[in-house]
Amino acid sequence: MAVKRISAETLIELVSLTLQTEIMPALPPDRRYTAAMIANALDIARRDIIADGDSALWSLLDALYPEADGTAASLVADIRSGRVSDASQPDLRARLRSVVIAELKVRNPKFLAARGIVA
Amino acid sequence: MTGTGGGGPASGPQAKGSASPDRRRTLDPGNLAPLALWLARELGATRVAIAEAVVLQGGAVQENWRLEVESEDGAHPGRHSWVLRTDAAARIPLSIDRASEFAVLQAAHQAGVPVAGPIARCADPDVIGAPFLVQRLAPGIAQGRRIVRDSRITEFGPPLAEELGRALARIHAITPSSVTLPSFTLPMRPAAHAEVQRLRAALDTSADPRPALEYVLAWLDRNAPERRPLALVHGDFRTGNYLVDDGRLTAVLDWEFAHWGDPAEDIGWLCARCWRFGADAREVGGIADREPLYRGYDAASEEPLDRRVIPFWEIFALAKWATVAVLQGDRYRNGGETSIELALTGLMPPEMELDALDMIENIEAQGSVPWR
Repeated sequence: MAVKRISAETLIELVSLTLQTEIMPALPPDRRYTAAMIANALDIARRDIIADGDSALWSLLDALYPEADGTAASLVADIRSGRVSDASQPDLRARLRSVVIAELKVRNPKFLAARGIVA
Repeated sequence: MTGTGGGGPASGPQAKGSASPDRRRTLDPGNLAPLALWLARELGATRVAIAEAVVLQGGAVQENWRLEVESEDGAHPGRHSWVLRTDAAARIPLSIDRASEFAVLQAAHQAGVPVAGPIARCADPDVIGAPFLVQRLAPGIAQGRRIVRDSRITEFGPPLAEELGRALARIHAITPSSVTLPSFTLPMRPAAHAEVQRLRAALDTSADPRPALEYVLAWLDRNAPERRPLALVHGDFRTGNYLVDDGRLTAVLDWEFAHWGDPAEDIGWLCARCWRFGADAREVGGIADREPLYRGYDAASEEPLDRRVIPFWEIFALAKWATVAVLQGDRYRNGGETSIELALTGLMPPEMELDALDMIENIEAQGSVPWR
């Protein structure tokens, strides 16, 4: 049997599981919503630890800004001004879609699953 | 306004059912005397007693309290259950002030829209700590999740959608030429451009740059419908913001985002996927198909609804809710309020961005936008 390391990720997983199975059922109804939010926040934190960061965003920024000086804020400004558009970057929409899917894999994989996107 | 059809802060769709028990509040239920004195003066009563003030669930932007009031003489003698609405501790820049909200409520009331009747408004921040308004307490529940999951939803959903259609038509019959609303400005250009500009301006204050959202706004601006009628737009007309009692509509709530605009904006908001509370197949706010909504609207409106333009406003709805979620997150990020609910709402924009990008993809695949 493989030995499990007690990592940050596994600790958060355990805390969330314990909260949901042992603590939440004993809470008065008006506190359960807050507890459910805590469990959700813990699950997001756990997935954030093991996720591959912002690689979809960095790959888009690298493609758009070869000088490596692009940021999310500069991309926002350039989309606003029209400097970056479907015309200048034909796969822009598809790449932005990849960026938001990568975020949702961490933040809300159930939302992706409901749209047939495997997290 | 928090929560979404895809999954709210508690991974369930609705946050309007939440009361954060420990949040800093404006009204102090232990010191109601200044409020009672003010009400007595305002209503011309000999004396007003407030037996109870209980914070109501919901409203991350506003604070709502149920007041048990007894008035001797004056404009409203007797015992009443009323609602006091005031701003939550931190505000977001898209909402109107309570004085404007009161004027809108009065106009809607006079136009035959079911609303919780307006009683009084106070602009003086010193009475309870912020301006506020007082309304009647209407019966029913607002929690979207409870409404769309009601076991009788397939029975009462279609007639409820028809009632919503009639209520919207009455709201949209209020026009800049029929009513003067203080602090409401007329858009200087087609309403769709003006609304996109409002979202951009709000996002400019944010610490969370969202390229996908900016792309959606650029697409909306490029494809905005021109030459549309101008009317009162509720601005937040969705499941969760109206009261349902035994399957019937009793009151349209939460007028804080009202403005002059394109009436189809309200239809798009009500039908947007982010406000179906997980009941995605029932496209009118998770309660019914679109046909009864449109039927009720056309029956009560002089102008038939232009259905071609609604997808534009559905994409706009996704962009607007994404913007509001960014701003809610800023209330946490900028240190105003340490609320787990606000922090989690601040993580939600990619949900709306994905649905908006996919709607755009589908429309682009047809070769031309249907409303132009």
